[in-house]
Amino acid sequence: MDFLIDSFLSAILILWSFNPDVYFIIYVSLKVSLSATLIASLLGIPTGFMISFKEFRGKRAVIIVLNSLMALPTVVVGLLVYAFICRKGLLGILDLLYTQTAMVIGQVILIFPIVTSLTIAATSRVDERYRKTAMTLGAGPLQTALVIFRETRFGIIAGVIAAFGRVISEIGISMMLGGNAKGYTRTMTTAMALEYDKGEFVLGVALGMVLLLISLTINIFFKYIQGRSGA
Amino acid sequence: MLYEVKDLKKTYGDRTVLDIPELILERGIIYSLLGPNGSGKTTLLEILALLVPPKTGEIRYENTRIDFIGDNLTSLRREIVMVQQDPVLFTTSVYKNLEFGLKIRGVSKRERGMLIRESLDLVKMHDFVDAEAHKLSGGETQRVAIAQALVCSPKVMLFDEPTSSVDAESQIDIENIIREINSQKEISVMFTTHNLTQASRLSYKVISLFEGRIAPQRFQNIFNGRITTDGHGNRSCLIHDKIKLPVRTDKTGDVKLSIDPMKIMIFPDQGPGPEENIFVGRVIQMIYEHDGVRAIADIGVPLNIILSRKEVKDRHLFVGDDLRISCPSDATEVL
Repeated sequence: MDFLIDSFLSAILILWSFNPDVYFIIYVSLKVSLSATLIASLLGIPTGFMISFKEFRGKRAVIIVLNSLMALPTVVVGLLVYAFICRKGLLGILDLLYTQTAMVIGQVILIFPIVTSLTIAATSRVDERYRKTAMTLGAGPLQTALVIFRETRFGIIAGVIAAFGRVISEIGISMMLGGNAKGYTRTMTTAMALEYDKGEFVLGVALGMVLLLISLTINIFFKYIQGRSGA
Repeated sequence: MLYEVKDLKKTYGDRTVLDIPELILERGIIYSLLGPNGSGKTTLLEILALLVPPKTGEIRYENTRIDFIGDNLTSLRREIVMVQQDPVLFTTSVYKNLEFGLKIRGVSKRERGMLIRESLDLVKMHDFVDAEAHKLSGGETQRVAIAQALVCSPKVMLFDEPTSSVDAESQIDIENIIREINSQKEISVMFTTHNLTQASRLSYKVISLFEGRIAPQRFQNIFNGRITTDGHGNRSCLIHDKIKLPVRTDKTGDVKLSIDPMKIMIFPDQGPGPEENIFVGRVIQMIYEHDGVRAIADIGVPLNIILSRKEVKDRHLFVGDDLRISCPSDATEVL
């Protein structure tokens, strides 16, 4: 117990000392995860809308596959992307392995099904009358989609937050595609794993606290926006 | 001509919900679409609002053939606005709800404010301009939904059961608003209802729908009944276990019976008249329609009788009068 308390106090001291190495790790984590979340949202939300509102053969199968991919293990994504971007791989010429770009690619693949599936879940439950009201008031397809987005925004944003939570806390992709290079691709989770291997827990606890703080801040902000909108 | 519909069919799976060989609607008048639940009223309204395509058939709006694809459909849709049964408003302010259609139409901000206030005045909701729309009551929501449609200055307004979710007082207000929309703004109106008296008092022309088909006027009295046969093989239809009418039919068991309101004969309470197949009833409501008078008589069930204005005048017929009513066999039809 003393060990935990000591680690906790030392962690606070590390954060308080504004150690540039620690804050660079946090910066890389946020940069990679936010980039991946943004790209996955830009791709996943419109895809979710299309699947939700278009009728096509095999729609149910697509939804089942997307839902299943929500549980995709990070190491599987890591291996898959590695196979493409390693020197011998199809995209080896791009020299992406052990870069932040590779980590972003892997994380986008990881959370695209989450954003898409949760968008489908949110929009398919929306009252059909909203769509008809928008259409009869003269809205075209894009304006109608924006109305649906507005009415389901909290469900969709919750999906995006869940996706962000998945990537900021994952380790498999960051380790396999980023390589945990200090000052370049080291993230909070890969740093924590390294510190654990070394038997040093202080930095690990500090970064763990930051991870929880980020999650708490995002959720407080989301609730605040939700409350302001009266929803 | 506003709409011309030909050979219209709409199906859901194997079920045909609409089958209309021809329907012509003129500009500038109020039509009512009357029918029981499941008769296809909402589906027809949604097709006329260009929201839902028919399975087959041709629809012409202002002589333009509607193909239900492409950008042209959105621009035509901007002339026709439908107010849904139990409407929903966007989760924002009343002002922004009304602003939505105007923004789409590229109306300037200054003009938007003016039009929004004008529309809210017409539905007597001007005090609610800044209110949160999703916190309004059913009646208030209905009025704002009408204002939301009206502010777009449409040529046609379609109302799906506009008074089904409001109290009696709001019902009268909404009927008056519909009248004003038609008379002051010269907007063509069609509304659906299952209330025959509302259809009669509010619309210039009543279109009856029954099981997806346009029913002739003779289908305005439709009752659930049961066919019975006496010892001589004569068949009668027993309505609600109260009224027994002789019918000519091969059907047995539970049926629907139509009594043609134009062919029902009335006689004074006392005096000469037929002795058989006669019912005693009391006039409970009289509605002056554009081409006659609709009297509703209580004979154990409410019965619509359509009379000429001259007949009403000559007989000095008033609400509360007792009558003897005859339904000749050619007035009844087993459906």
